[in-house]
Amino acid sequence: MLEYAGYALVLFSLGMYVVLDGYDLGVGMLSLAARPERRREYGEIVATAWDANESWIILVGVVLWAGLPGVYAVVVPGAYLPLIVMLFSVILRGLGLEMQSAAGGYRRGWALLFGGASLATTVCQGLVLGAVLTGPHQRNGTFHGAALDWFSPYSVLCALGLVAVYLLAGAAWLQDKTEGRARTGVRRTGRSLLLVTAVMAVVLGLGLPSADPQQLHLGQPVRAVLFWLAVAAAVAAGAVAWSGFGRRPDWRPFAAVATMTGCGLAGLAVLTLPVVVPPGLSVHQAAAPHSSQLFLVLGVGLCMPFVLAYNIYAWRSFRGKYADPVESPLPPLPTRAQSPMAAPSSTGPLRTVARRVLLVMLGIVATALSQDVFGGVSPVIGPIGVTVLGCAALAAWITGDRRDRRAGYFDADTEAETVS
Amino acid sequence: MASPTVVELSRWQFAITAIFHMTFPALTVGLSVLLAVAYTVHVRTGDPLYLQIFRFWKKIFAVGFGLGVVAGTVMTFEFGLNWGTYAHAVGPVIGVTIGMEVITAFFLEAGFIGLMLYGDGRIRPRTMALASWMVAFGTLLSTTWILSANSWMQDPVGYRKVDGQFHAADWTRILLNPAFAHRFPHMLLAVLISAAWFVGGISAWYLVKNRVQAQPMARRCLSLALGVLGVLMPVQLYVGDGTAGFMGEHQLPKLEAFEGNWTSDNNGYNLLVIPDTGKGENRFHVEIPRLGSVIAQDLGGTRTTPGLLQTPPAERPNMWTTFYGFRAMYFTALLMFGTAFAGVVLRVRRRLFHSPRFLKWMVWMTPAGIIAITGGWIVAETGRQPWVVYGQLRTADAASGLTAPEVAASLAGFVLLYVTLLAIWARYIVRTVKAGPEALPTGPASPDASEALVA
Repeated sequence: MLEYAGYALVLFSLGMYVVLDGYDLGVGMLSLAARPERRREYGEIVATAWDANESWIILVGVVLWAGLPGVYAVVVPGAYLPLIVMLFSVILRGLGLEMQSAAGGYRRGWALLFGGASLATTVCQGLVLGAVLTGPHQRNGTFHGAALDWFSPYSVLCALGLVAVYLLAGAAWLQDKTEGRARTGVRRTGRSLLLVTAVMAVVLGLGLPSADPQQLHLGQPVRAVLFWLAVAAAVAAGAVAWSGFGRRPDWRPFAAVATMTGCGLAGLAVLTLPVVVPPGLSVHQAAAPHSSQLFLVLGVGLCMPFVLAYNIYAWRSFRGKYADPVESPLPPLPTRAQSPMAAPSSTGPLRTVARRVLLVMLGIVATALSQDVFGGVSPVIGPIGVTVLGCAALAAWITGDRRDRRAGYFDADTEAETVS
Repeated sequence: MASPTVVELSRWQFAITAIFHMTFPALTVGLSVLLAVAYTVHVRTGDPLYLQIFRFWKKIFAVGFGLGVVAGTVMTFEFGLNWGTYAHAVGPVIGVTIGMEVITAFFLEAGFIGLMLYGDGRIRPRTMALASWMVAFGTLLSTTWILSANSWMQDPVGYRKVDGQFHAADWTRILLNPAFAHRFPHMLLAVLISAAWFVGGISAWYLVKNRVQAQPMARRCLSLALGVLGVLMPVQLYVGDGTAGFMGEHQLPKLEAFEGNWTSDNNGYNLLVIPDTGKGENRFHVEIPRLGSVIAQDLGGTRTTPGLLQTPPAERPNMWTTFYGFRAMYFTALLMFGTAFAGVVLRVRRRLFHSPRFLKWMVWMTPAGIIAITGGWIVAETGRQPWVVYGQLRTADAASGLTAPEVAASLAGFVLLYVTLLAIWARYIVRTVKAGPEALPTGPASPDASEALVA
């Protein structure tokens, strides 16, 4: 049973990823079509949450590795090239977004990099999905196929489908976050994307039996009921999204799209269980030993409520329409009243040389103490010596810092000094 | 089974991506602590200087953190991409450890970083401070888990091997393995120290250039950085010495390689060697006589250092990388120790902000921590070869069944991308530093500055 809990964890993280990073990848792709003056705003809308959203795919990766190492060891090398390109795109996307955000104004290059890399990331994820559904060649729990096995007409269709789903989520998110022109345009965009997504879902669904080398067991009643329930829920959510686009409340389309995506994923899982990777790599074969499953399910499961709680808190803090952040100006710093700071006068050359020689010798002794060189003489010399050195440095820091603060070193300089 | 070319290319790719990734946490872990401290002090005292410090370092931190996250995503997938056999074998142990890192640490950092960077004006200052501490706590926790995972590979304990797969027998021993006890404090200090050099070096640059607007911030940050360094450097040398000693006991070939000896009769300390791996001797070496045995706690100078010829050829690590990785770390550490020591002396002598030569030297020390950390990891990882899990799983047996052109293409892509990224990152830091911190309006002269600030 435990292996199913591990698989459920993978599916849950995957669902969270597709919904959450789906919308920020979608917003990224939509920014390509937006007017230049809006592109920066699109980036800023997702800048508050993209790190958190992207963490879910890392969780998918490691939970798969820890819980179902058999799947991880087959799928990841099996889709080597699309995954590598996806990672490149993820890096460029993060770079574009952060540099655009840090630049202060609109920078065409960074904004286009963010949008283009969002598209490339999505396409690669779709190709990986297609590669998994069409079944990589595997033997004894490792991948044994060729370099381009992931490429098939079905995986290309998957890539197109995923682009449509993410665009849809992005459009729904934009309706929740924007006002004015961007929001009014979303009705048409959202509805046409919804149509495209529906068509892609039907095409991919009908194509699955021919692409997938395994048998789909729709003949089993429980499975069939669950599957059709998921489909019905997805259709209902789609209808809600259809009517919600362009209408208040603005959060409704995104909630509906998220439900739709979740139901789609659940339907796919119901259809294929217990097989994770066709043909025939099942949860039981791929699972990690009991001790690891238990630790993983308990550890990750117990942390999950906290993770969700603070993610919801972060989301609530930024809820509502996006507005350019206004940083409050810095309060003034007191100006130093005293006369300009001057270094203490220097001593004579002889005393300077003598002091330097002494200090160098002291430094060598301190180094030797820290290296525990005298540990052979007595094992306590090292730890005691290091403690004394550390405490002496701490005392010098505290007293010196207080003295410098009194002397006004951390206040603004007076006008006279500024000129000099 | 993967071909030797694939293994070699995969090793290069992993090394390059790991080193690239490491340069970001090496700064951001310590910077996150600085940001949390600065914001808390600002909230508690209302001192505007600390808000200026927070806002300035936040700019460098934000981009570094973002790049660290995406470079870390690469690492998570690379375990499976290039090392599928390894992933299958150690997934039940290392996979779980890294899974815990993701759920406890990555999410904590990523969940709160949005609040910390963009929360100004949206959430209360106290909540901002809490968010900053959560980010800092997350980065420290991340360091803890990853060191636990890597230390287990250095000295595996608490497992059973079933059909070539490692099954966990005792989680406490796996997570708190003996190597972890030495290596975790060493790395924790290292990341704090490297951020301190970075902050201290940039602050010193403002003082050298005499940038008026940045003077109070630069003095404050230099004082803070050198204070931290003065305390931590002696501790770090002591902990590092302990780590080397531990590795000498548990992974003798690593010590043999990083001390640069082939025969076991040398009591000196090698400063420079040119090893000849085929013949098993050094073509050339420069040593300080007797220092080797002094460092090994024999002040009489008779104890000798073990050499690599003791180890069978099939189990020898590469002396080039291990020796020079260690020298890069250790020599930089000595420079860092000396500079921190000089900093303490100058502070006691009231000359910390009046020593142009020292301040110029501090600017050169800006990347010192990153260099030392990189060198240290090269020792740790290449010194463990030819094993990926020491004594249990050979690196050559761990790779995925990929073809050489695939890996060559991805390696070329990574090199190109990462070189570009490093250049962009360096240019961004230089520009941000040159632009300087946000200007502070100056207030009325306070008759007694100390009272105004203590309040």
